[in-house]
Amino acid sequence: MKKIMVVDDEPDIRASVKTILEKKGYKVVTAISGDDCLKQLKKEKPDLILMDIMMPGTPTREVVKKIKDIKISFLSVVRTSEAEKEELMKQSNIVDFIQKPFDIDELIKRVNKILKD
Amino acid sequence: MDVLEKLSENKTTLLIIPSEEYNSFIVGIAKQVSKNKVIYVTLNKTYESLKEIFNKKGVNTEKMFFIDAISKTIKKTPDQTPDCYFINSPGALTDLSLIISKLLDEPFDYLLFDSLTNLTIYEKKTPVAKFLAGLVNKIEESKIRALFYALNVGQQDELIKECEMFVDEVVDLSKTI
Repeated sequence: MKKIMVVDDEPDIRASVKTILEKKGYKVVTAISGDDCLKQLKKEKPDLILMDIMMPGTPTREVVKKIKDIKISFLSVVRTSEAEKEELMKQSNIVDFIQKPFDIDELIKRVNKILKD
Repeated sequence: MDVLEKLSENKTTLLIIPSEEYNSFIVGIAKQVSKNKVIYVTLNKTYESLKEIFNKKGVNTEKMFFIDAISKTIKKTPDQTPDCYFINSPGALTDLSLIISKLLDEPFDYLLFDSLTNLTIYEKKTPVAKFLAGLVNKIEESKIRALFYALNVGQQDELIKECEMFVDEVVDLSKTI
């Protein structure tokens, strides 16, 4: 069973994404911040991390630098330009950029695609 | 809403914007004030994306100076460009306050603060309200008039209640449209 870590400071988002993905057969763990994510990665080895781009604590750009060999998809309420999005996607393990608010079906489709590749 | 009229009536206004129409409102307001010198504080869009949106919608940004608290959280960014100052994060309230205070001495007409809602991701509502109170005091002593944005999402009610006592007027756009 593929494992996904949902990293978001908003409890509603963590809970709803967890429920949605568990219904689709994924094992889901959650973290409340980038720092919590890094702490949990010492014992968890997810196949994909869905990470909010704007959270309290260590900036996301610093957190992703410390994560090796795990695919990361940004969940972003922050609006970026197309050029910035492309720049962010150039980072080695960043595989997708999902703009909030997202459509549930679209989220599932994109997660399925990432984990199939 | 005639923003310029509202700004002429008050030194500081808290504008509560319906979340579903937020983007069209911020573009409309920016368009109305764009003939004047404006400080635009962005806490939810990067400077680049804001300029992209404004240019696409025909908002003239030549007289705008931006304070961007987002870009540095997601990418390597210089401290300053000719029309933007980048701060580390929306939670860096001291830095934010310092740079705004510095700009209040410059010949700007308006300050658009977009938005108080985003500050609550990093800070509890009381520090946000205190930050606003301090900023409003500084604005009162300057020539600038300010418009603070907040979203009308349910969990923001308490923030709005905490903040409304510090500004001259609260305008709830969901009740005026």
